[in-house]
Amino acid sequence: MKTRNAVLLTGVGMMLLAAGIILLKSDPQFVKSLPALPYLCIGLGAGVFGHGLGELISRQTVKNNPEIQKQMQIDQQDERNQMIANKAKGKAYDAVLYVFGALMVTYALMNADLFVILSFVIAYLCVVCISIYYRLKFDKEM
Amino acid sequence: MKNRLEELRKSRGIKQEELAAALEVSRQTIGSLENGRYNPSILLAFKIARYFDVSIEEVFIYEEEKV
Repeated sequence: MKTRNAVLLTGVGMMLLAAGIILLKSDPQFVKSLPALPYLCIGLGAGVFGHGLGELISRQTVKNNPEIQKQMQIDQQDERNQMIANKAKGKAYDAVLYVFGALMVTYALMNADLFVILSFVIAYLCVVCISIYYRLKFDKEM
Repeated sequence: MKNRLEELRKSRGIKQEELAAALEVSRQTIGSLENGRYNPSILLAFKIARYFDVSIEEVFIYEEEKV
């Protein structure tokens, strides 16, 4: 991530956080129909702000230390580290399919709203479709 | 796959950290290679062979799996 993007993220996070607090305090009319909006702004703002600020601090720390910077770059590009990360992602994907499946069955047994069950089914199918798409893409490329 | 990486490294008096820095990989990768827990990509295998100025076959020992 570039420094400019980190600054931008920090700024956007701060603005979202401030907007959330203002919405919560002022309680305008349009918020009545969206009661979760201020909390969503605060949550999202805090997350984005923390991520951006963390990136800026990390950049500042390694800025005057080229050795650490080089080591970090090596660790990021290390083929074993990349293989481990990809393998972990693969395992997580397998787990997602089981977790989604179990959730769908649970909601169906609980007689949950059809909209909830259908949104889970659509999300499940999306994940499977993305997997098939990349399988075909990589099959052509490699 | 078995390899002679540790033997070659020690015979030249090089530390794992130094080899890792020269090959631009992490020290853990060198450790895993030496223990035989990790098989390198063909690119890294070439880099290692070139670093020690030997052929790939002299570093990595290919053994056919017994059926």
